[in-house]
Amino acid sequence: MTVFDWLRRFLLLDEAAGRRGGAALELPWMHRWHHVPKRSAGPDFRREDYRRARENAREVARATLGERLWTRVQLQGYLDVPSRRFPGLTYRLRIGRRIEVRCAPGVESPWPFAYLCINPTYPLPEEEFFAQLYLYVRDREDEVIRVAAPQPWDQMLGRTF
Amino acid sequence: MARLIVANRRGHQVVEWDPTVDTRESRAAIEEAERIIRDARRRGCAVSRKVGDTHVLDDRPFDPHVEEYQILAPIAGG
Repeated sequence: MTVFDWLRRFLLLDEAAGRRGGAALELPWMHRWHHVPKRSAGPDFRREDYRRARENAREVARATLGERLWTRVQLQGYLDVPSRRFPGLTYRLRIGRRIEVRCAPGVESPWPFAYLCINPTYPLPEEEFFAQLYLYVRDREDEVIRVAAPQPWDQMLGRTF
Repeated sequence: MARLIVANRRGHQVVEWDPTVDTRESRAAIEEAERIIRDARRRGCAVSRKVGDTHVLDDRPFDPHVEEYQILAPIAGG
């Protein structure tokens, strides 16, 4: 890359930041988050940052799920996703909580416990992660099965807020 | 306008472009979106695209004509 290319790229990135209202684009997969306490977005976050983040998250979760699913989760408080891998098993997804594994009568769960703990690897507002987890469970169940940590009790997720 | 949603602790931020016009700004935004998606996938993130009024996970190469992409956090147990 020549100095000219670098300068051009720098100026264009600066232009892009301008289009986002001056805020630099935060790419969370480029950072380490192990030092951030559970249920927190980091020490630099203030009350107003949390409020705005949750508001943004709600908007994108709604767009991700579509109006029909969004309305359903608002009304009933969860979304059920039938397993394609295990007939008779349903994943019950609730905002900010572990996945509940529900089995039809006579169906045995592949897990020893009824709850699966799955977190994002970086902090996210819980409604946003809920929509993401729905896509993972529906479209990439094998990945969910691979990473799921079965737990005997229900609990809030640690990496969402 | 097409857009890439980068879900992060701020809720989300977007990169937008117009695939129907050929301007320096639009080309730069498309380059930026493609680079972000490539890097995110390399680091374990999933990518979804909008189909109808909902999103589906997507492994296909970046297409600037897709209406909306989103980057999803990698997941981990525990």
